[in-house]
Amino acid sequence: MMGKKQKERLGLFFLNIFFITLCFLTLIPILYALSVSFSGQNGLLSSDFSFIPHDFTLDNYKEVFLGESIMTWFGNTVILAVTTVALSLTVAVPAAYCFSRRRFPGRKAILKCLVLLNAFPAILSMFAIYRLLRPLGLVNHRVGLILVYTGTMAVFSLWNTKGYFDTIPKEIEEAAHIDGASDLQVVIRIVMPLAKPSIIVTGLMVLIYVWNEYIYATTFLTGEGNYTLAAGLYALQATEMSGSWPVFSAASVTVSLPVLIIFFLCQKHMTSGLTTGGVKG
Amino acid sequence: MKKRKAKNTAVSYLWSAPSLLLIALMVVFPILYTGYVSLTNMNVYHWFDFTIVGIDNYIRALFVFDSGFLTALLATLLWTVVNMAVQLVIAFVLASLLNNQKLRLRKLYKTLLMFPWAMPGYVSILLWKTGMFNTQFGLFNQWMEKAGFTAARWLSNDVSAFLCCTLVNLWLALPFMIMIMDGAMQSIDRSYFESALLDGANWLERTRFITIPAIRPIIAPAVIITIFTTFKQFDVVYLLTQQAGAKTGSGFHTILTYTYENAFVTNNYGYSSAISIIIFIMLIVFSAKYQLREEGDE
Repeated sequence: MMGKKQKERLGLFFLNIFFITLCFLTLIPILYALSVSFSGQNGLLSSDFSFIPHDFTLDNYKEVFLGESIMTWFGNTVILAVTTVALSLTVAVPAAYCFSRRRFPGRKAILKCLVLLNAFPAILSMFAIYRLLRPLGLVNHRVGLILVYTGTMAVFSLWNTKGYFDTIPKEIEEAAHIDGASDLQVVIRIVMPLAKPSIIVTGLMVLIYVWNEYIYATTFLTGEGNYTLAAGLYALQATEMSGSWPVFSAASVTVSLPVLIIFFLCQKHMTSGLTTGGVKG
Repeated sequence: MKKRKAKNTAVSYLWSAPSLLLIALMVVFPILYTGYVSLTNMNVYHWFDFTIVGIDNYIRALFVFDSGFLTALLATLLWTVVNMAVQLVIAFVLASLLNNQKLRLRKLYKTLLMFPWAMPGYVSILLWKTGMFNTQFGLFNQWMEKAGFTAARWLSNDVSAFLCCTLVNLWLALPFMIMIMDGAMQSIDRSYFESALLDGANWLERTRFITIPAIRPIIAPAVIITIFTTFKQFDVVYLLTQQAGAKTGSGFHTILTYTYENAFVTNNYGYSSAISIIIFIMLIVFSAKYQLREEGDE
């Protein structure tokens, strides 16, 4: 009996060692970038590399936060992201509610079409969109990119919010109707508050998409002053890499942080159950 | 009654109109336009004075082997199969190991292993490119030199570029798959395992007769979605090896990077549009077969 327990303990010990090694190996690219972002230029090419920065310095971050271009890119990204998220949600939420709750001719067919349309990779229509937007003067213009992003995420936003509306029990709404509430009142007073977490999650997904999108941004925008963060980072790595690698890694860490925070916050949010406490008794 | 129904329909469409209009304008119309361009000889020399050439572009893509499309398609299929196979096996093993109830730190391990998924994809890929694969100061070459080998140019030939892209893709995609499998495994009723243990079933038998059949229906949708994203992979291959103006010399293309190259590097719009439509049709067929049944219910 004792032997079995010891064997199990030994197994568990090796399992822990295995996972610690695995986690470390997995995180190497990120840890390396983190370490380089805190290192001075000259530490870079030395052969005895370690994951602790050689000559610790905050210069690279100073360049990120005080350098003009990166802050401009940040501003551009925020404007684009906020507008896109606002527009996406305004457009998607009413449609999603209709598709979730109402039954009307054409509903099923449209839903099926949306699934198929979602299969089309956005990048394949880039040329067509470019050619269509150019005569309208929308290439190299924020409005053009906002339209592209909202359009690309429209199917996703509609589908995602519809999915959440589907999980809210109809009984709640029916009860409100019986109490004499109008359709609009039901939506604003009851459905919206219940759907708020999911709408926030959808909005955050759109936000992350805009935050991370580089290929449309670099194709549709000319002049680094108009770039978004993603486009700017892409351009930064495309030019003289060796010189700017520490700054690039500092910028990468900075750009990734908000996304990491949103991701880990969202994960909790999604598991917390969307209708907990909705139907009681 | 009929009037009420008509009103109901009108109201539904009115509220959905902005969203549907946007989709029609920014998704459907560009696809139709791509279909139109695919029938022309539009390129950088024929920007305005292009002519209709019928299905020439399609013939070139599908029947002229030198055109590169079929090679890219085969490479993409190989890429999808290799990535999915390795991903499913590794994710399965790791999720089973993580499901050991006595592993106290498993929440911490899970969180740490989620990082590659949480990071912005393009940032990670660029960090891999410069941090790991770079010929001068990438970590791989630093290790190689320390071990006494000569530095290698990781991304410059087809096979090693394919392997490097696979490595990065696995790094990016595994967390999601592990999480899905882990969730599915946790939903299995423990009593199955207990009775199997009493019957003397070993680990392999338990896996084959309990775990795999139990998780299969749960993970199926996620696996199908991952097959799609792997097949449609652009970022990994493009950012690592095919960046416009900074190609590494590898000839490995997925169909998406191949299409991008024909549209924006060699500016062969008619031809690239034809490939886009071919890809779209393939995806629609696949999607209709595997996704419509579940999603269009009710």
